[in-house]
Amino acid sequence: MSEKKYKIQDIRNIAPVDLLSQVRDIKDDGYRFVQLCGTKKEEGYEILYSFDKEHVLLNLRLIISDEDEVESITKEYWPAFIYENEVHDLFDITFKHNALDYGGNFFKTAEPYPWK
Amino acid sequence: MGTFKIGKVVMNSLFKKPATLMYPVVPREWKDRTRGHIDISEPDCILCGMCSKKCPTNAITVDRTSSTWTIERMQCVQCGSCVESCPKKCLTMAPDYTTPDVEKTVDTFEIPKKEAAGGSGTAQGGELKNNIEECIYCGLCAKNCPSDALKVDRKEKVWEVDRDACVTCGVCVEKCPKKCLKIE
Amino acid sequence: MGKRTIIPFGPQHPVLPEPVHLDLVIEDETVLEAIPSIGFIHRGLEKLVEKKEYTEMVYVIERICGICSFGHGWGYCAAVEGAMNIEVPDRAEYLRTIWHELGRIHSHLLWLGLLADGFGFESLFMHCWRVRETILDLFEETTGGRVIFSVCKPGGIRKDIDADTLSRMVKTLKDLKKDIKELTDVFLNDTSVKNRLCGVGVLSKADAEELCAVGPVARGSGVVQDIRLAGEGKYDDIGFEPIIETGGDSYSRCKVRIREVFQSIDLIERAAEMIPEGEISVPVKGNITGEFITRMEQPRGEAVYYAKGFDGDKASRHLERMRVRTPTNMNIPAMVKTLQGCDLADVPMLVLTIDPCISCTER
Repeated sequence: MSEKKYKIQDIRNIAPVDLLSQVRDIKDDGYRFVQLCGTKKEEGYEILYSFDKEHVLLNLRLIISDEDEVESITKEYWPAFIYENEVHDLFDITFKHNALDYGGNFFKTAEPYPWK
Repeated sequence: MGTFKIGKVVMNSLFKKPATLMYPVVPREWKDRTRGHIDISEPDCILCGMCSKKCPTNAITVDRTSSTWTIERMQCVQCGSCVESCPKKCLTMAPDYTTPDVEKTVDTFEIPKKEAAGGSGTAQGGELKNNIEECIYCGLCAKNCPSDALKVDRKEKVWEVDRDACVTCGVCVEKCPKKCLKIE
Repeated sequence: MGKRTIIPFGPQHPVLPEPVHLDLVIEDETVLEAIPSIGFIHRGLEKLVEKKEYTEMVYVIERICGICSFGHGWGYCAAVEGAMNIEVPDRAEYLRTIWHELGRIHSHLLWLGLLADGFGFESLFMHCWRVRETILDLFEETTGGRVIFSVCKPGGIRKDIDADTLSRMVKTLKDLKKDIKELTDVFLNDTSVKNRLCGVGVLSKADAEELCAVGPVARGSGVVQDIRLAGEGKYDDIGFEPIIETGGDSYSRCKVRIREVFQSIDLIERAAEMIPEGEISVPVKGNITGEFITRMEQPRGEAVYYAKGFDGDKASRHLERMRVRTPTNMNIPAMVKTLQGCDLADVPMLVLTIDPCISCTER
């Protein structure tokens, strides 16, 4: 049995300006969108995008500062609106041109931006 | 025509005994491995405090000065970490659940004081000492230490104890083949 | 032109196992649009990594959901073991696979019961849950708990199953096959049930791929996707093929889940024959660094687990980030799409066919 597919960790660091063009190439290749994860670092945030094709994962990592705005990928992958609204409601990261923006009301929490 | 396909199941259940138990009139039978609540055997406890360190919900409090072992029954999630980490194996997982109550129960157990037998098993104070000429650096003490406080190197002939991590539980004293370790 | 009204569905509704809110825009009993919103059960469990060490965090992650509890424990342990490069012994992997498949059987039986309750067939609901009790008794005998097992830890598992108990378990499951067959016969062949399920909530294959659906929702529409093929666990050695149906409606999704129950019983039987002797865990010491992302096939679909430790000198026993992405999170857009154009009376059925586990979605 060759190297198991789940052990392959393919994580690429990219700059925020390259995000949309990379995502368009990935979509043309036939990848499926898997998840979007936000992490709070000491300075700024880190966002991890994951895509999957034939049970192998491809990940893109974005490092942004507190005030940066990120382009939304809902034009390529519509289901991403759930994750972008969740990350916006928890961490206060703004996504520009979101196809379905709840304006901070997707996740009902007692205080706004609790994980900021 | 597929109607009333559930007829056979319904007819069978009319003539079988019910699937439910008339609890609490009929008591429930517990399985052996059911994780119900924690029991302690007081004479064996040496108040080392390992269970309190490993508990993920901070349900156990060990008080050395007043010699008591306290558990908050409602904080305990019956995970079993304390049972696995106790060096004297005095904690057991009993299969019946804590009875429901209107307030959160806290159980305190008195641990009888032991005389210092100059050898194994006292945690009432004292320090771990090694008779370094007898030591063969086999490393059995370090392997069995529940708080990873010992460092033994056979090639370099090094034996060290981290005084902050050592809880003087006495497991190393028991395991040493040359009996060169003492707590006093 | 009829008049448009907006009806709120949930968070309290007799058919929903967990609270979710939908705003339905309807015109004369036909639903035009559905707008979901969640957040009623957000407990912030992922933020607890700041307080709990990585060995204690497994007890928190297990309690994210009561139905898919074993899958979460295994996924977390797999992510931590991957980040620290630990090899788990073979016997532990086989036992984890057996418990995971038992979890799949009990989850699908629970869902079948809820589906029957959703269209008003209460006696079928009670019978499905009566059969499920046998599975829960098996869990209690081997792990100690009926719903929360606490049997996985980073490095292996905590309790072993001896050969007698294993063979008794396989015999109980084989005897249970007859009971399950009688009940699933009702779901698949009874005319009144088929009237509620066939042709309702059709999701075409192109839509399922576009909306990135996962789990039985995707497999019921013909998309070949099952993370058990990617390699976690011992599925390659046991031999396994995913179950695909091409109908795309609620009936196909129901059929996929029923066939998966029988397939799981066969998988457990084969795993119990092939299980080797050996250790059940390896010791794990030290700080955690590095990151790892892995996936599990939960009963509801694909779940992603991502664990990241601090780097360099800040490495400690705490993780920096633990992220669990659950399958219901990904199926909500598919649910919104199937709700467009359906009857108002079918809304509870369509919400139930994606098998919503909202406490997993919001952690």
